[in-house]
Amino acid sequence: MTTPRSAPRPDVRLDDGAMERVTCTTCAARVEVRKSSWEQTSIQWHADAVGACLERRASQPGSGPNATFPGCTALDLSIREAAVRGSLSVQSGDALPVNPEGHPH
Amino acid sequence: MTAVDEVRRIESDTAPTRFARGWHCLGLAKDFRDGKPHQVKAFGQELVVFSGDDGRLNVLDAFCRHMGGNLSQGTIKGNEIACPFHDWRWGGDGKCKAIPYARRVPLRARTASWPTLEQDNLLFVWNDPEGNPPPDDVTMPVIEGATRDDWTDWVWYTTVIEGAQCREIVDNVVDMAHFFYVHYSFPTYFKNVFEGHTATQWQKGVGREDARPQATESGVAKMIGNTSVAAYHGPSFMIDDLTYHYDDGDVESVLINCHYPISDNSFVLQYGIIVQKADHLPDPEEMARKMGDFIKIGFEQDVTIWKSKARIDNPLLCEEDGPVYQLRRWYEQFYVDVDDVTDEMTERFEFEIDTTKPNEAWRAEVAANIAARASS
Repeated sequence: MTTPRSAPRPDVRLDDGAMERVTCTTCAARVEVRKSSWEQTSIQWHADAVGACLERRASQPGSGPNATFPGCTALDLSIREAAVRGSLSVQSGDALPVNPEGHPH
Repeated sequence: MTAVDEVRRIESDTAPTRFARGWHCLGLAKDFRDGKPHQVKAFGQELVVFSGDDGRLNVLDAFCRHMGGNLSQGTIKGNEIACPFHDWRWGGDGKCKAIPYARRVPLRARTASWPTLEQDNLLFVWNDPEGNPPPDDVTMPVIEGATRDDWTDWVWYTTVIEGAQCREIVDNVVDMAHFFYVHYSFPTYFKNVFEGHTATQWQKGVGREDARPQATESGVAKMIGNTSVAAYHGPSFMIDDLTYHYDDGDVESVLINCHYPISDNSFVLQYGIIVQKADHLPDPEEMARKMGDFIKIGFEQDVTIWKSKARIDNPLLCEEDGPVYQLRRWYEQFYVDVDDVTDEMTERFEFEIDTTKPNEAWRAEVAANIAARASS
């Protein structure tokens, strides 16, 4: 009895820069990533990546009603490294903020 | 070549023709336990909620299968609801238990009954257009403070929203910027994770000195900021684990933001607050009421916007906006048959916003507002 409806639409911002594949250097989980800026990241996981992630498997439920896995630090590091290496695009085009005191290199 | 000069057109898909599959909170359980039947308009239908001698809360279709009498105008007799028209007696399981003037109850004397759940002093009803019972793994998590003596009771608000579809309120969970403009908060950290049937939002914020000035007299605690973990557990019930940081200690609270649809263009919005009775908090009940009143202002402003806004399925987003599209992809799982739920609707998705630029702009705006007030 499903009424046919249009499929969920892709994020309009992907027109300016698509998700890119990143492999975790710790567990080899493969995810899709988009870095909008050095401080902004979106990550699309798939079932196999969730299964492979060591931190995910080791994670405890945590406390509170909304206890959930907040994210993988090893994967976050792999993503950052990929961006620093230049194998992952950073949409903002800003240079890597190496010196937080504000002195451009 | 893409035409950058072209006017962007708003697109709106047809609104869903069914109501979301999932648990929906109808309100405080005690409000339905006053010995009277209650009429509830939900999911495009009329329901009756009643509780008999056994204390169980039941939800049935409001209309008697005999001659269509409205059971919510009837009387509770024992464990059954008696129709005001001919006194037919209906049990919480939907079966007609007795007809006082008849030798026997006809076969097929069965009406629609809705699965219910009472948890944390709240009443929930399960809606499923396919008619399946609720699976165990989608039950809302227990809110410990709701039933503890060292927390306040619920301060509860209910409001009917006409002229808006409930997707508007669900969008809030990813809409960082509107928290500044509509709810007078100041997010400094914002991250969403969608996975399975939950959609979570981590948010940290600081107080808005322009919107909510702090007490200046000595001895009054100063609010430093807040930390919030809010999650939708299913399509309609959000639990917000909200901690306010004061210079003399933290105040723990839980905010519920939930709704149920009346029709495809109206819904009931409810929110509730409980506050932990911390030693350094002189009047936790007062704190819960004040929080509620503040939250009410924000929701009222939401409602004004929803009522006059366009339904938009192709929102034009800047990089500093949250994952609206991915949220709606997640939300779609509740509007299709279980067999039609796709991996992309439920697979884990993370989105963290860079708040550098928003915070710069908002700090300037707060300062300007304070300056304008000082000079007026």
